[in-house]
Amino acid sequence: MVEFMFALAIGILFGIGVFQLLRRDLIKAAIGFAILFSAINLFFVAAGAFEGEFPPYLSNVQAGRPTSDPLVQALILTAIVVSFGSFSLVLGIVNIISKRYDTVDSNDVTQLKH
Amino acid sequence: MTDNALLLGALATPLIGAILALVSARSNQTQRAIGVATGGIAWLFAAGLLAQVHELGVQTYALGGWQPPYGIVLVADALGALFAFMVTTIMIAGLLYTYHCHDKCMTYPAFVPLFLLMEVGLVGAMLTGDLFTLFISMELMVLASVSLTAISDDQFGLEAALKYILISSMGTLFLLLGIAAMYATLGTLNMAQIAQTLLTGERPFLAPAAALMLLCAFLLKSAVFPFHFWQPDFHTTAPTPISAMLSSIVVKVGVYGIFRLVTLLFIEEAFLLERLLGVLGVIGIVFGSLGALRTYNAKRMLAYSTFAQIGFILVGIGWGNTLALVGAIVYAFNHAFIKSALLMLMGVVASYTKIKTADFAQVRGLGTKLPPLLGWLVLLGGLSLAGVPPLNGFISKLALIQGGVDNGDWANLIIVVAAGILTLMYMIRAWQQIFQQAPLPSTTETKPVGDSMVAPFLLITICLLLGTVFAEPLVQLVSETVRQMMNPQIYIAGVGLG
Repeated sequence: MVEFMFALAIGILFGIGVFQLLRRDLIKAAIGFAILFSAINLFFVAAGAFEGEFPPYLSNVQAGRPTSDPLVQALILTAIVVSFGSFSLVLGIVNIISKRYDTVDSNDVTQLKH
Repeated sequence: MTDNALLLGALATPLIGAILALVSARSNQTQRAIGVATGGIAWLFAAGLLAQVHELGVQTYALGGWQPPYGIVLVADALGALFAFMVTTIMIAGLLYTYHCHDKCMTYPAFVPLFLLMEVGLVGAMLTGDLFTLFISMELMVLASVSLTAISDDQFGLEAALKYILISSMGTLFLLLGIAAMYATLGTLNMAQIAQTLLTGERPFLAPAAALMLLCAFLLKSAVFPFHFWQPDFHTTAPTPISAMLSSIVVKVGVYGIFRLVTLLFIEEAFLLERLLGVLGVIGIVFGSLGALRTYNAKRMLAYSTFAQIGFILVGIGWGNTLALVGAIVYAFNHAFIKSALLMLMGVVASYTKIKTADFAQVRGLGTKLPPLLGWLVLLGGLSLAGVPPLNGFISKLALIQGGVDNGDWANLIIVVAAGILTLMYMIRAWQQIFQQAPLPSTTETKPVGDSMVAPFLLITICLLLGTVFAEPLVQLVSETVRQMMNPQIYIAGVGLG
């Protein structure tokens, strides 16, 4: 049941993320990007979360208890840092665009089309 | 398995250089000097690595002493070392151009550090043996190039940067999704171990889906047909040395990833992927060449031309036999030199205009007032791109066409040969407009000093050498590379598995 809820959550987050990314409002698009990244991070966690129910301490491993995979957690920590960096860069660019073009509507940010 | 410190050197030198450049942000000249010096040292490491790989076989470096398949391992096989060598060579030219460039954005304290971080990302992507590190390197490369384009002197740079980062992040997300799918089904991220497991014929549920997701991410990075629309804007508006890097080596990261997909990771699915790549490549050739013919801006023309040239490489991968793969790699190698040289030359031309631009309407006839050497260099570069002997473009076209003849795919072969004529047409058109026609009244005002053409001059010289003296060694080197690529066991055994 938990697995199903988890899968559902990933799917819904992915859907919301893609929807937001395609919005005309650039700030909403940036936030959609962050949501999309969270969905994929959750998918990564799900790859190792349901193997065992004990934390991967040495004592648990030696006692032969089924432990969860610690590697995915290390990986998504890195992925979160990367996503944070790109998210702040997107927001920074949107910030300068909002000043220079006086709008965040992507329909009006079309000076390249000339 | 022994650690080879050259691998770490090639990766760490630009990183240390970036930090040093950031520390010495007070003096812009010091920063630029650090940039050139770092590029040179990284090149020495990459050249040594290439020599060692061909003498001693696959070289590895286990980061932090964690042995594969558990730790992150840097791997230089023949393909990775060759591409890393190409990247560091072009990077020196880019940093040299930066040294003498008059753009305002080069004086920003973050410019040189970001440039070097882009090199870290590029070299890292080519030398890593771990899928997750590949993701990190590609993201580093994307973030650095986006920042560099956003601060461009061109007022449209910001808009192009936003366009690219939103699209490219989508691609990176798909790359991460593919990597997660691989990890969920195979339990490893080491490329050698993934290849080993998939070679046994085992096909986990998510593996084909992961292959397609990785392919999409790589196609997006190389701006291939359905994902190409960001590329002309982004490559046109970037500062000159950056657009030279973007159009020559950054697009090659995707090509490198595709090579890895079809020759190492997904050999059984390779046939299907190659069919797809062949079709996409032909579309790229036709529309890229036609697009380049009708542009109004010299830099934009070269960006469209990159779209077409990547098509040639993909058609070579699509043919898939040994000769065609040799052709594709030689093509990728030569194209990097020609295209970066041409973009820098157009940058030099543009730097003489009152408001820096490469619009044909603004630069028409400008060349008649510039040193004649510039015109000859542009002409040589254009002829090389079109594949006229004795320049290196001819060698790559010849190798590719041999592969096509060997494959017997006559329909695509005709398109490839005909597109060479289109290339000649758009390059000669640009050359005539800039260097042959009478200047317009609007172009009578020029700046007295433009950018230095040392870097493009060196690159064109290398092109001439590659087409004549070094043609034979290059083709032999690439043939040896392809021989290693065709046998994935060499890579797997080199990492210490299998």
